[in-house]
Amino acid sequence: MIALVVGLSAFLGMSLNLAFSASLTQPDWSLALLLAAMLAHRKNWLWVLPCTLMHDLMLHWSVGISFIIMALIPFAMIYLDQSLGPGIPQRVLLLMIAVTLSLTEWGWGLQTVLLTLCLCVPLWYMLTGLYAKKTA
Amino acid sequence: MAVRRRYKLWLVAVFLIVGLFSLSRFSVGSWPMLVSWPALEVLHAPVQWWGSFSLWFKDSAALQEQFLAFRKKAEQQAALIQESNALREENRQLRKILDISGIKGYRWHAAKVRGRSPEKMSQRILLQVYGVSRDDVIVSSEGLVGVVDSTSDNHATVRTIFDASLSVPVTIPGKSLAALSRGQGKSLAIDFVPLAAAPEPGEILYTSGAGGMYPPGIAVARITNVQPIPGQLFVTVSAEPVAHWQRDNWLAVASHLHEAP
Repeated sequence: MIALVVGLSAFLGMSLNLAFSASLTQPDWSLALLLAAMLAHRKNWLWVLPCTLMHDLMLHWSVGISFIIMALIPFAMIYLDQSLGPGIPQRVLLLMIAVTLSLTEWGWGLQTVLLTLCLCVPLWYMLTGLYAKKTA
Repeated sequence: MAVRRRYKLWLVAVFLIVGLFSLSRFSVGSWPMLVSWPALEVLHAPVQWWGSFSLWFKDSAALQEQFLAFRKKAEQQAALIQESNALREENRQLRKILDISGIKGYRWHAAKVRGRSPEKMSQRILLQVYGVSRDDVIVSSEGLVGVVDSTSDNHATVRTIFDASLSVPVTIPGKSLAALSRGQGKSLAIDFVPLAAAPEPGEILYTSGAGGMYPPGIAVARITNVQPIPGQLFVTVSAEPVAHWQRDNWLAVASHLHEAP
């Protein structure tokens, strides 16, 4: 259910980016949602990766660095969890790297990068809470 | 055991990077953007509703003032149309005398911008338009924007001149320059400019019409930098587009008229 809601919201976010990119400074809604879902639960890669692929194809007509980074995040999370233990600083670092590299590669502005980071953090917090509630 | 698992993890990650990097080199095309048009229509609808709704709350005096201003503008335009008709006829007669043909082989029509990719200067645009086909030329009031990449019943995607896959034959009127403008993502590169014919920064390049894809005489790029390279035949020239399509809500389409077999 969470996957469906996040997936549909990501599609809506992509459409918002396409429809109002000239009139509003917006975050990359879908990237923020998908990244938050990936950081909240690493097993989410199964549906987050196809959605990221769709994000790249719809906005940029090609598979870009955001898909590559999203594909590597689960590996980085496994490695960091094994060597340093699960922790917020590692995940924040991954989040910042992913957003900055993905958006600057496509030529998005600094404001968009900051807005995406600001959106991603509360979404990540919210999704982590939802998964914790589901497990409990 | 832990070392072996870590080794496997890195191996998979390396394979994944190589695989994905190879995949990213392929341009998949514009169909995902084209299929998004129903969602974009839905998102635009509230904005249009708000526009119509807000008219109810506008002061009638302000509306009356706007109406009078529009009527005055319409009268001025009628006079201009009359003058342009006279000039067009005069131009036709002069062309006939000088034996010069105009821009033929294109049908011009307008298209509404429905969506654009979110870079600072969009590389792709989604238009609501009827009766266009692939490779039709898109122009704004300022200059060349790009070409149609794919079409559906009433929508089309546009590849702008920033796209690396587009090369536009350009020239400077009155000069013998025959160069090629190539998209570089955030700027334009002008290829095959000989040192002897190097333009000055600020000069405007126009479509030359070579190849028959673009109508001649459309402004394409403004030169920003000219860099001669010692020992090389051609200079390195960079430019910026003349058109600013990030602001335009309407664009013009020049459709190729294909002759009947």
